Amino acid sequence: MKASTQKKIGNVIGKALMCLVILIVLFPVLWALPSMFKGRSEIFELPLHWLPNEWITDNFKTVFNMPDYNYLLSIGSTTLVSVLSVVLSLLVNMMAAYAFARVDFPFKKFLWIYMFSTMFIPGITILLTSVRVVSFLNMLDTIWVLIIPGIASGYNIFFFRQYFYGVPKYIEEAAMIDGLSKGGIFFRIYTRISTAPMVIIGMSVFMGYYNSFLWPVMTITKKTELYQIMQLVRTLSSRYKGNYGVVLVATLISLIIPFSIYCFFQKYIVQGISIAGIK
Amino acid sequence: MKSEGKAKLNAFHAKIFGKNKFKYRYAFTGYALLAPAFILLTVFVVVPLLIAIVRSFFDYRSYADVQKFVGLDNYLTIIRTTSFVNSFLNALLFAVIIVVAQLLLSFSFAHVLKADKSGFGLVTRAIVYIPYLISGVAASIVFLFMTNYGGGLINGILLQLDMKPIAIDMEKTWARVFVILPTLWLGFGYNALVMYAGLINIPKDYYEAATLDGANWWNKLIKITVPSMMNYFLLTIVGLLTGALAMFEIPFMMTGGGPLESTLTPVLYLFNNYRNVLQSSSVTIAGAILVMIIIGTLNSVVFFLVQSKKSEDD
Repeated sequence: MKASTQKKIGNVIGKALMCLVILIVLFPVLWALPSMFKGRSEIFELPLHWLPNEWITDNFKTVFNMPDYNYLLSIGSTTLVSVLSVVLSLLVNMMAAYAFARVDFPFKKFLWIYMFSTMFIPGITILLTSVRVVSFLNMLDTIWVLIIPGIASGYNIFFFRQYFYGVPKYIEEAAMIDGLSKGGIFFRIYTRISTAPMVIIGMSVFMGYYNSFLWPVMTITKKTELYQIMQLVRTLSSRYKGNYGVVLVATLISLIIPFSIYCFFQKYIVQGISIAGIK
Repeated sequence: MKSEGKAKLNAFHAKIFGKNKFKYRYAFTGYALLAPAFILLTVFVVVPLLIAIVRSFFDYRSYADVQKFVGLDNYLTIIRTTSFVNSFLNALLFAVIIVVAQLLLSFSFAHVLKADKSGFGLVTRAIVYIPYLISGVAASIVFLFMTNYGGGLINGILLQLDMKPIAIDMEKTWARVFVILPTLWLGFGYNALVMYAGLINIPKDYYEAATLDGANWWNKLIKITVPSMMNYFLLTIVGLLTGALAMFEIPFMMTGGGPLESTLTPVLYLFNNYRNVLQSSSVTIAGAILVMIIIGTLNSVVFFLVQSKKSEDD
């Protein structure tokens, strides 16, 4: 009797705590949302009020009709860059991981250490010289400079190698008896049994590209139509410094794409952290 | 003549492959699968790193064609640069606060999630992850909006209570607080989920046996939970430490490193100086290499600790 009441109280406290945490976590965005519809004079008007007295859409018009930047084009190009990068990154890193996990070749150990240790090199250390390299390759101000340099990743190869090690070897042996080549086994079997890690890594690659800021700032300087979304948000935040409604529209609309993708893959990601957490 | 060459080639082949000829029968496929990643990593990571290392030992100015080997001079210059040293001290302060706060918060909240039996925990887990999707730039704008001096949420409340408003770009302590808060906000959900994953992976019978032996919750926490989750702690700590040392977007957007360099971080310092014509870029690059040595050492130590613990467990 006593124990069950205690449990009930515990459950109630637990739920209350979870509600509180949800509120804190969502609060900053929720607080900002209605201000997208507030006029310039109302936005910092005291006393504080959450919903606008007068709903206006001027801020949206400003963001979508800028003479020199195309906001929607930026979202589109950032999404395109991110999607292409996810596909290429999964392909390139999974191929390498499969080679390391299931194929024997000379100098394997050396190549493994070589590729794996690249994950300990922080981006900032090679930022300036990477810009030199891409400029030497004539990639500056092209879509390729946004995609190609970040495709291969020591960590992702490591992650997939660990996962492939867990795949039973008899699958491979059976496929070889059926006459499948090593490459065939990878493309026909391994890519199909790796949905969960592909979603987890794919999502993190997508977020990395979609949210990237420093690299586009360094490499896309002349072609404003290739401005990545965070780069544009930052540009607008300094241009419309006194006009927060506009800045908030630009910022919050940019979150729609990652949120929708998360909603779609949410189940995989939240469960997948138990695998990915052990990095 | 031709057959002699072929014999030599065969001998060479045998020397490399030796009795592994069978083992290596798919070597060509292996190299083909590896090639794209190998080339990309070489061109976009290894080559830039090598150039950076070489340049850090030369006096290199973009306007003069003279390049002079100067040994460790650039490194000596950078560690005597007050701003660079300050940026490291700031990063250290941020790292300590963020690691301690984030570990406590996420570890405690993971227990709340684990205790839930109603299914509401599932929803909570899905929601707390959301800030992890937001970039430092976007998060900073939302926080700048809340801390606006004229009438943002925080100052609005302070003004209505007849209190002095706070200016995060003028007061050192508040500047630091509002660099740390968005960082905690962005990472909290992810870290809580990692901790939760660690908690539910601990076998239940450990706790049942301990209960039979009359252990209280504190004993269980210290003797079972913490040791079982050592790897999760190590990895979370190194993730948070690396993240704190590499902080850039939030201080860049929130405070620009000010006031008086109180929120300047190493990466922000390097970013500002890459475009500074007065300081030789070799000096900045030497600083960048020092950042790599520190972060790299940290990461590899923890990585090998975890790996060796894993092999012990097996």
